[in-house]
Amino acid sequence: MAINQVFKSASAIVQGLGITFKEMMKPTVTEDYPDVPPVFQERFRGKHELQRDENGMEKCVACFLCAAACPADCIYIEAAENTDKVRISGGERYASVYNIDYTRCIFCGYCVEACPTDAITHGHGFELAAYDTAALIMRKEDMLVAVPPGARPPVIAEAAASHGH
Amino acid sequence: MSNPVNLTIDGKAVQAAPGTLLIDAAKQSGILIPAFCYYEGYSLQAACRMCLVEVEKFPKLQAACTLPVAEGMVVRTEAASAVQARKTTLEFLLTNHPLDCPVCDKGGECELQDMVFRYGAGESRFTEVKHHVDEKQWSPVVYYDAPRCILCYRCVRVCDEGMGVTALGITHRGAYSEITPNKGDHLNCDQCGACIDICPVGALTSGIYRYQTRPWEMEHVGTICTHCSDGCKTTLGVRNNEIVRGNNRDSTGINGEFLCIKGRYAFDFIKHEDRLQSPMVRRNGKLEEVSWAEAVKAVAARFAEIKAAGGAIGVAGSVHSTNEESYFLQKFARQGLGTPHIDHARSGDVPALIHALAGKTDALATADSLYHAKAVLVVDADLSQQHPFLAFQVRANVRHHQAAVYTVTRGPVREEQTAAKAVHTADYLAGVRGLGEDLKKHADLVIVFGDGIKGAAVGELVAFGDSLGIPVRYVCLVDYSNSRGAMDMGLLPELGPGYHPAAVRGMSLPQMAASQDLAALWVVGADPLAGGKRLASGKAFVVVQDLFLTDTAKQADVVLPSASAYEKSGTVTNVTGQIQRLKKGLNIMGAKPDLEIFGLIARAMGVDAGRAQNEAVFEEIRKSVRGYNVPLPVLATGGAAQAQPVNGRVDVLPDPELVRSAGDTLFTSGSLGRYSKILGSVMEAPGALYKG
Repeated sequence: MAINQVFKSASAIVQGLGITFKEMMKPTVTEDYPDVPPVFQERFRGKHELQRDENGMEKCVACFLCAAACPADCIYIEAAENTDKVRISGGERYASVYNIDYTRCIFCGYCVEACPTDAITHGHGFELAAYDTAALIMRKEDMLVAVPPGARPPVIAEAAASHGH
Repeated sequence: MSNPVNLTIDGKAVQAAPGTLLIDAAKQSGILIPAFCYYEGYSLQAACRMCLVEVEKFPKLQAACTLPVAEGMVVRTEAASAVQARKTTLEFLLTNHPLDCPVCDKGGECELQDMVFRYGAGESRFTEVKHHVDEKQWSPVVYYDAPRCILCYRCVRVCDEGMGVTALGITHRGAYSEITPNKGDHLNCDQCGACIDICPVGALTSGIYRYQTRPWEMEHVGTICTHCSDGCKTTLGVRNNEIVRGNNRDSTGINGEFLCIKGRYAFDFIKHEDRLQSPMVRRNGKLEEVSWAEAVKAVAARFAEIKAAGGAIGVAGSVHSTNEESYFLQKFARQGLGTPHIDHARSGDVPALIHALAGKTDALATADSLYHAKAVLVVDADLSQQHPFLAFQVRANVRHHQAAVYTVTRGPVREEQTAAKAVHTADYLAGVRGLGEDLKKHADLVIVFGDGIKGAAVGELVAFGDSLGIPVRYVCLVDYSNSRGAMDMGLLPELGPGYHPAAVRGMSLPQMAASQDLAALWVVGADPLAGGKRLASGKAFVVVQDLFLTDTAKQADVVLPSASAYEKSGTVTNVTGQIQRLKKGLNIMGAKPDLEIFGLIARAMGVDAGRAQNEAVFEEIRKSVRGYNVPLPVLATGGAAQAQPVNGRVDVLPDPELVRSAGDTLFTSGSLGRYSKILGSVMEAPGALYKG
């Protein structure tokens, strides 16, 4: 009875270690975050990005559809009209204020789906922790992507001209 | 219904009066036939081809908007052929229509969007380049984006038939047709914005609301316009404690969809930079900002002192305040301060009319009577300028019921365009008497009169009405949103609430100003010292409650910032005696509603004038003011309750000489109008007011 049990246990250990040795030979899947940047699937829904078009203009035309689609009611927009002097987006209207409240956002992606101009997308940013909830209300400037190299959107072009460059 | 016509719509047996249009008959039985160009109340156009339906025994589809019902008709509104026709129509409408719904102001409440969603094809087969025309600004309030226009002609008809202005027309042909303003590149019109509201798409957009927000983002607050006395309901779109638009698309209220420039756009005075936001007390000759507690204490202490010394306190009420405020003010003044000197800026001789109508029932006309009466007589009033809604009712009456309109005025007015007879004279009564034979022919008559008929002339006018032998009803025109209520609530030196004679006859406003021993003047939302006038009594303690630093406020010892009608609740009474409820749209920093201010002063003085709270005061008004015992549910649901005509003699009649209309036009509105930038931005006016 006792001998039987000893053999049984020993074989189980050998069997278990066998799996361990086998896995040791395979390439590792665990990521070395934070020492190495993590790798994401393209579809990962992280912190939002507000996109620009090829001329560097904001794609958002402040249609409010993302805010309407948002189940958490975390998007706040104020719209303003593009004029000859201040031209921010490609359409007649742009978002003068665009806030996302990340204390409420559930990263469902409905806003991205609703966007008729592909202005809002999910980026891969995920390090959103903060000591202060106020810091979790991101403004347009926090989410807007950089002007693509070479593009000169009108407002920037004007600023450059007025600085004598 | 005499011999109704029987027909079948979508398998449902329907009865309709002969001559009813198929689209109306369907609507009455709960079947909605889609249409763009058809609009209830305006002439038929049959331009959009959306209402095509299949009618048995007709070889082709029929337009339901122009087809009268016939006995035994069998109609299928959703037949495959009809649905296919709509789909094709929409495909054509979208050939040039830009798909810029995300930026279009109409997006979310667009009829074309809804129709395409319901009937349209998922994809367009047109690959041709769309015909583009740049957007145009026609006036401070009207923008036109031609490619979005679907040429339903609604704007053209509402401007021509509804407003009587005919400022819009069509130029070019076919796909290049465009709506064009009367002055080539801009509009010279009433700037009422009816064309913008009636536009089913975003072709006509409002300069005020433009690109501000989207329809679903706003809170819609139905309240009463605070400008003229017509009492139109305006639905304010409020977002972030700011009014972004006013309209009345849900057609509730006495005015249906009608609004003039004031109701639609002139709410901007509330955020004028000169708006008072803090109480002020005069120290060393200068007005200094203080806290509410300090200001109220200063007023209460001084009032108590003057009252104890037996000094004369004058009270000037407002023509914009609510009934509750006016009632509480006169009660507080008469009982709390013990002063009989109460007055307001009178603009129509209502007491004289009520006195003249003693013993008659149903002799005061409502806004509705102007639409139903067989004949309307306008005496000394430029209705289209001063009372745009009443003028709209008269035009609709002429259009729908072929009513006869008569005008007796000093100069030309718009009503003459459709008038059966127009008399130009300064002797109004003589002019009216000259029309006696014509007026007798009609089944009933409404007489609308301005401030040219006052005092004894009102009695003579009523006597003339009696001599016609037909039912005659009257409207005494007054200027502002609650001018009528101010009188009904007894803001008069001679009369208390409900036109009961006051125990002691007090001083009128000019008498107060001229009085050498006036100890205090309490001005609530009025400007009796406008134009730099000065009180004869140099020692008077002047307290002013107002939105702005008016001429009177500049001379005040204490200034208290008050809330406008859009920032408070309560009830107001319009020119025809219809009581409606205000609904608070937003909060404004620093200001308080007048009623709250009265309550604070009463409490600081230790005077018991009752609870300074809307419901409590209105309950008291219902109990004690003749004619105001109206059903509360009507008010609570946003309806208009008719103040029952006061049926009795008015024992003391106020001095008719003090009745003077301010003569506001469509683009002026007393002191409020001066602070409305949009009213001031209209450069061209369609004919100035004839009254000097």
